[in-house]
Amino acid sequence: MRIERELMRGAGPVTVLRLLKQREMYGYELVQALSQRTDGVLAMGQSTLYPLLYSLEAKGLVTGAVRAAPSGRKRKYYALTAKGRIRLKAEQAQWKRLLGAMASLGLIEPSRSER
Amino acid sequence: MMESRLDALELEHIALRRGLPDSIAQAIGRMVARPGLSESRRVEVLEEMIAHFEDGLAAGRSAEQLLAEFGEADLAASTAAPFPLPRLGDRFVSRFLRDLRYAARRLVASPGFTLIAILSLALGIGATTTVFGLINAIILRRSPIRDVRDVVNVYESTTGFPFNAFSYPDYKDFERGTSQVFSQVAATRYTFAQSMKDGLPARAVGELVTGSYFPLLGIRPEIGRLLGPEDDISPGGHPVVVLDNRYWKRAFGGARSVVGTSIDLNGRAYTIVGVVTPEYEGNIRGLVPDFYAPIMMVNQLNPGNSDDLQSRGNHGLFVKARLRPGVTLATATGAAGGVSAQLKQTLPDNWRGADTFTLVPTRQVILHPELDGVLYPAAGLLFTVVGLVLLVVCANLASFLLARAVDRRKEIAVRLALGATRGRLVSQLLTETLLLGVIGGAGGLGFAAILGKTLTSANLPLPLPITLELGLDLRALVFATVVSVAAGILFGLLPALRASNPHLATTLRDESAGGGGRGRLALRHGLVMAQVAVSLVLLVAAGLFLRSLGSIGAVDPGFGRDPSGLLQLTFPPAKYPKAQRLLAQRALSARIRELPGVVSVGIIDNLPLNLLNESDVEVNAPGVLPPAGSTGFTADVAVVDTGYFGAAGIRILRGRDFLATDADSAPRVIIINEALANKLWPGQEAVGKQLTTSNKPKDRAYEVVGVVATTKIRSIGEDPRTGVYFPLAQANALGVWYLARTTGDAEALAPAMLRTAQAMDPEIIIVEARTMARHLEVIRLPMRLAALVIGALAALAVALSGIGLYGTVRYAVAQRTREVGIRLALGADTRAMVRLLMGGGLRLVVWGSAVGLVIALILARLVSRLLFGVPALDPVTFVAVPLLLVTVAGVAAWLPARRVIRVAPTEALRSEV
Repeated sequence: MRIERELMRGAGPVTVLRLLKQREMYGYELVQALSQRTDGVLAMGQSTLYPLLYSLEAKGLVTGAVRAAPSGRKRKYYALTAKGRIRLKAEQAQWKRLLGAMASLGLIEPSRSER
Repeated sequence: MMESRLDALELEHIALRRGLPDSIAQAIGRMVARPGLSESRRVEVLEEMIAHFEDGLAAGRSAEQLLAEFGEADLAASTAAPFPLPRLGDRFVSRFLRDLRYAARRLVASPGFTLIAILSLALGIGATTTVFGLINAIILRRSPIRDVRDVVNVYESTTGFPFNAFSYPDYKDFERGTSQVFSQVAATRYTFAQSMKDGLPARAVGELVTGSYFPLLGIRPEIGRLLGPEDDISPGGHPVVVLDNRYWKRAFGGARSVVGTSIDLNGRAYTIVGVVTPEYEGNIRGLVPDFYAPIMMVNQLNPGNSDDLQSRGNHGLFVKARLRPGVTLATATGAAGGVSAQLKQTLPDNWRGADTFTLVPTRQVILHPELDGVLYPAAGLLFTVVGLVLLVVCANLASFLLARAVDRRKEIAVRLALGATRGRLVSQLLTETLLLGVIGGAGGLGFAAILGKTLTSANLPLPLPITLELGLDLRALVFATVVSVAAGILFGLLPALRASNPHLATTLRDESAGGGGRGRLALRHGLVMAQVAVSLVLLVAAGLFLRSLGSIGAVDPGFGRDPSGLLQLTFPPAKYPKAQRLLAQRALSARIRELPGVVSVGIIDNLPLNLLNESDVEVNAPGVLPPAGSTGFTADVAVVDTGYFGAAGIRILRGRDFLATDADSAPRVIIINEALANKLWPGQEAVGKQLTTSNKPKDRAYEVVGVVATTKIRSIGEDPRTGVYFPLAQANALGVWYLARTTGDAEALAPAMLRTAQAMDPEIIIVEARTMARHLEVIRLPMRLAALVIGALAALAVALSGIGLYGTVRYAVAQRTREVGIRLALGADTRAMVRLLMGGGLRLVVWGSAVGLVIALILARLVSRLLFGVPALDPVTFVAVPLLLVTVAGVAAWLPARRVIRVAPTEALRSEV
């Protein structure tokens, strides 16, 4: 099941920021992580992912640096900046409130979002 | 301002280079090329996209999956679109195909450049291939003779003329006397005959051969049989012919049933016994006969004033001989010398002094040993000229590419930054120029085919029909291919090396529109200078030949100045014995005089400047000593009727014309030309004097009754030649020219004369009807062809250099648009600015011209042998040509300069982005 474009637009940034909080990743790693960790739900089309990354980069929320990957090839690794951490926290808070509100309406089960 | 962005194609190509499948590379190209990204950003994105798909593929996903996941369905769908490419296992081939596809798209993307490049290459390669075709057809053609290294051409040599044809009795003596060294000796001669086709007479060219001829050559028949010893027995008794392969196809549609049927030649039926293979094209290259007949029929097919099989004076046979195994050329020459020594003893009248036989290996002869001496320089000149034109084409394209390399430097810098090796870059850039070269070459082949057709079908005013196989054979195709590829590399390599110079990688940071670097500029300037220099050399050559043509046109041949028609014919001797012939000749003369517009009619047996018939006699006068070392004065000889001098417009200076009273029974009279009169009796009255000639009977005395103006006789450039004229009634002339002067249209008169002769007797053997103007064209022909060909090529070279210069100046001034705009805004004078901008270009022209002049001065001396009436260092040519070139160059430089002045003020504001 895929998420609608408009919804992804809202969920995309926070998802990427969240994944990058754990460790630096390059493009395809992000694609795989999104696909595996969310059971494909958040496997956004990469024609959306890369522009998203660039826009985050432009806003100074993430930085990109080209380094050698374990395969030996050069890859552009994205990492969260201090500004990005702050933004992630703020977004997480917003999402929590949003999901809480939705749960109270019975739209989602609160226990799932607690995990 | 010119955009110099990486376009989708280039991006795609970079992706392809990194080993990604076509579909993905194309998708990447389209995505990354989308507007809104800065150049450096674009490179980063490209790199990231490549990484993404590399990782995806490495993770085991298919290209289709990855593209689908990427999320742009339309991209995935469009992947197989314009250039389907088979997946080839061979990396090299598939890489080459990718380069090729990329190159093709790039060429399509800039149609203007591509069109000019292909067109100029096609012209250059076409001209080169045509000249090669000519050389191939004449010089390089493989001999069809079996074991040709054992075959020699034999000539009779007399003092000053080392390569003469044989008479038939000489041939028989030679054959008998050399049987120890030669296994076979054979002879052949060309002839004209009148064939009847559908009731209409047509001229056919034939070769009369001895029975040993075809066996010696080792030629096979296509059908039927060839001529052999059984056809070489009794004079006049072998009415058989073998058809030439081409004539058989042309006149008989290649029907195999033709063997056993007969054709009509000079009023007699000849049985067709076979057809020769197409490999044999006659004894002399370019002169392909229609039929082959036994030499025993020479008096029937080539009726002359004497029996060709008996007369020692008729030299028309070309002799070939095959060496016996183990016999060397030296041994054979010795044996031949023995024969000539014996002939001198038995025939002291015919064989004198240093007369002997000359043996030349057949392989070493192209047309004739003497003609070959002119053939090689002419071929060399022509090849040099077309080679130079091709060089200009290449230089022109190279400078175009250098200019484009500036526009592409960012793309190149990116590629280098992305890890492409210089070798790969060069090979990719070369693929583009090679593709241009090959397309241009294909166009050139088409051009050469058309040019070849035009050349072979051109109605040249020659006394013999020239047939050359200019068809593009394998050798010509290979040549064209090699030239195309060489051209592609020649004009592509330097720009490619320049463009891929790693030091240019720095330009990635330099986004401003600066110059192309000093080295590149110097190279472009050098190329323009080279083009100007070569153009100047070609223009000088064209100028010299044009001036020569003018000098030839200004020479008065001394006859035939007025419009007149010519009819060359022979009264068949069997039907017209001597007395009847004279009556018939006069009767025809009278009929032609009645044609509308005809003022006067004359008959001559040896029209001046006919290039084929050259005969002379020795003249002596009582009390006059011959020149030292000789037995008499040599004079060219012709037989004329009472109307000739009037019809030909030759003035009678003293004495009288021939009269009807100068009959066979009357006292022998002769008319001499002024040159001979001055030699025999300088300062004295020649009229009334007596002289003797080497004609039989030798002691017969002729009274000089008139002296006429000297005409050109053998060539237009000759010094006055001595000449004598005999009256028709007292001489013997079978083959004659009728010359009719008209107040009307000569073009219409010539066919009317032909019809008149045929109406009188259809059996009269017509050789040719044409106008005097066309006859005289023959002598101007080589010069006219040279002027035309070299002129056309020079014009092409000048046009190309003009374009090259235009491009260079345009590029140079475009770089300065902003500067010009500011200067103009600050009040600079417009004219001064134009001069400033043109200055750089004109300097190149001046230097190029200087170099070209020096080369031209050296080369002019080499071609001086081929010029006429013009010194090699002709001041007119050497002044006019540089002026012309500078004028053309001035326009080429002025146009872009003026354009910049117009656009500069507004561009100046815009060019800083």
